[in-house]
Amino acid sequence: MLQVRNLTRRFGENTAVDNVSFTIPSGKMTGFVGANGAGKTTTMRMIMGVLTAHAGDVLVDGRPITAADRATFGYMPEERGLYPKQPILDQLIYLGQLHRMTASDARAQAEELLERFQLGGRGKDKLESLSLGNQQRVQIAASLLHRPSVLILDEPFSGLDPVAVDSMVELLRDRTDQGVPVLFSSHQLDLVDRLCDNLVVLQQGRLVASGSGDDLRAKAPRRHRLSVSPDAGWVREEKGVTVIDVAGQEAVLELENDDAAQHLLAAAMARGSVQEFSRIRPSLSEIYREVSQ
Amino acid sequence: MSGTQTSVRDPHGRAPSSSPVSLPPGTQPPWLIVTLREVLVKAKDRGFAISTMITLVLIVAGVVFNAFMANRGEDFTVMVTSDAGQAVIQLADEAGRADDGNVTFTAVTADDDDGALEQVRTEDADAALLQESDGIWTLTGKNEVSTGLAQQVGESLDAYVLDQNAAAAGTTGEDLLAGSELEESLLEGSAENQLLATIAGFIFSFLFYMASIIFGMAIANSVVEEKQNRVVEILATAIPIRQLLYGKVLGNTILAMVQLALYGGAALLALNLTDTADLVGSIIPASGWFMVFFLFGFLILAAIWAVLGSLASRPEDLTSNSAPVMALIFAALFAGLFASGQLLVVASYVPVVSSVAMPIRMLNSPVALWEPLLSLVIALAAAVALLHLGEKIYRRAVMQSGGALTLRKALKLEQ
Repeated sequence: MLQVRNLTRRFGENTAVDNVSFTIPSGKMTGFVGANGAGKTTTMRMIMGVLTAHAGDVLVDGRPITAADRATFGYMPEERGLYPKQPILDQLIYLGQLHRMTASDARAQAEELLERFQLGGRGKDKLESLSLGNQQRVQIAASLLHRPSVLILDEPFSGLDPVAVDSMVELLRDRTDQGVPVLFSSHQLDLVDRLCDNLVVLQQGRLVASGSGDDLRAKAPRRHRLSVSPDAGWVREEKGVTVIDVAGQEAVLELENDDAAQHLLAAAMARGSVQEFSRIRPSLSEIYREVSQ
Repeated sequence: MSGTQTSVRDPHGRAPSSSPVSLPPGTQPPWLIVTLREVLVKAKDRGFAISTMITLVLIVAGVVFNAFMANRGEDFTVMVTSDAGQAVIQLADEAGRADDGNVTFTAVTADDDDGALEQVRTEDADAALLQESDGIWTLTGKNEVSTGLAQQVGESLDAYVLDQNAAAAGTTGEDLLAGSELEESLLEGSAENQLLATIAGFIFSFLFYMASIIFGMAIANSVVEEKQNRVVEILATAIPIRQLLYGKVLGNTILAMVQLALYGGAALLALNLTDTADLVGSIIPASGWFMVFFLFGFLILAAIWAVLGSLASRPEDLTSNSAPVMALIFAALFAGLFASGQLLVVASYVPVVSSVAMPIRMLNSPVALWEPLLSLVIALAAAVALLHLGEKIYRRAVMQSGGALTLRKALKLEQ
């Protein structure tokens, strides 16, 4: 488990990350979302020690992080890049060795990862001769090669085709199944919805939400969808009901409590027929949109 | 991933955190991995291999060509029309054989002047030595008279005429010249060694100049490449950034030294094979010192180049910000080529410049042992100080993306 506690970083007058705390649980995928400039990359660079924090700390299983911890992490920086003019297998082995792998282990692991990304026969090719999508796959391989204990991935899915996204997801699932905490930032909210058990939302350097999907949903306003005939306009007058949207026979409502729900349903049945009365389960992307408004 | 990965690590796969230096069995320390990579990447680089081979071939060819030119005898055929002419050429032949033993003169007698000149015109002879009726001698060539030929014939003619005139005056040429002999001698070394010292000085200067730029640039480029591609962020999370710097400096220093030894070895081998090695003995000690001074001077430059690389944001920035280090390298080159006297003595203690200046001083004249040792200590101190400072700047600057940095800005940066 990785904890970020009160992390703060300023660049001159601008506070890029302001007193941010959150937890990346083991064996879970944590999505890191926020608009451009919200402070995601700065936070990740501080976790990786590439950037010094002006305040706050990072804890690994409750104790302060060390360089040796970070050496076991897998990191994919925001700006991509390995060695463009070097053969891909050579540089993966090099990076593996720097991560304390033996050369033979690094080679075996690199070959396996390249195979999984359909790059099996291209180990001797120079990185720059690969398409951008394939370069991205090599970059991912570089971050996974040394069987990292924690994964910190800055926009790992950007630039990947759907097939590569699936291979990537599969690889990440393998890691979380082993108990590895994964933090990844993304602008692709559908992916966040699909993958994440956990969400951290930053806005202008500040934390606006964090926690598991269930927690966040529980905190989110309880909304219901009501579909009645002949018309739903009458709901505006009901007590304990806040109308979000009414159009013809459909209404989206926020209800104060369960009593209000029961009351509303009874009222609806008295006025006509009820086609649907259901709790709306918000997606993480909807929660993100909600909290970052 | 694979099924094998659970065995070594704990459930979180985390290595022990307390000792970053402890290495799993079968792995190498990070600086060594970086060093090996620098060497291997360069060694596999086709351009580098080709340029090294070409330089090697040029060195060997140069030595062989020199030896060939030195050993090559010259045979001159000179047309004459008189006994006097024949006697002069005879004298020239004796002198030529005596000097180096490989210049010969053959006199061929023609019936008349025209016949003699015709032989020159058809290149059957190198020149014609003719005496006109008023006693004036002329040496005529086709379109040139080679200096060796003219000089030797001129000297022999002097001697011949001197003898003739002396005999007419009832004495001998030798008596007339008695007591006029002037011998040259040098307080230090010999004339031959002096020439060799000058040549060796040129070679030292250029080797240092070339290696400083080729391998120095390689360090700077390798740093800026990692910075530009942001690989350095991955590397920095894996190993202490200091080890990255040391690995690069060490790798390129090894490459530079190996290349230098290769060039020097090829030159010595060629000199030995061509039997021109008799004079080489005198430059071997200075060459050994040059290797040591080269190492120290290069370490200093390597630290500077690494810093320049970390300050740049693209390879193009290097051309503009490398002016100070280029000035230092040029200073070493020019000190090697032109400095003498007091200036050379001072230069032999200035780090980097001393790499060339001290070995050249040692070639020119005897130098007490403490002098190169002191100079090395100064260079070593400078190397340690600069590597230290370089590490500080490198650590800060290499993580900065955005534009090129100045030294002052870099020192103010926080990580």
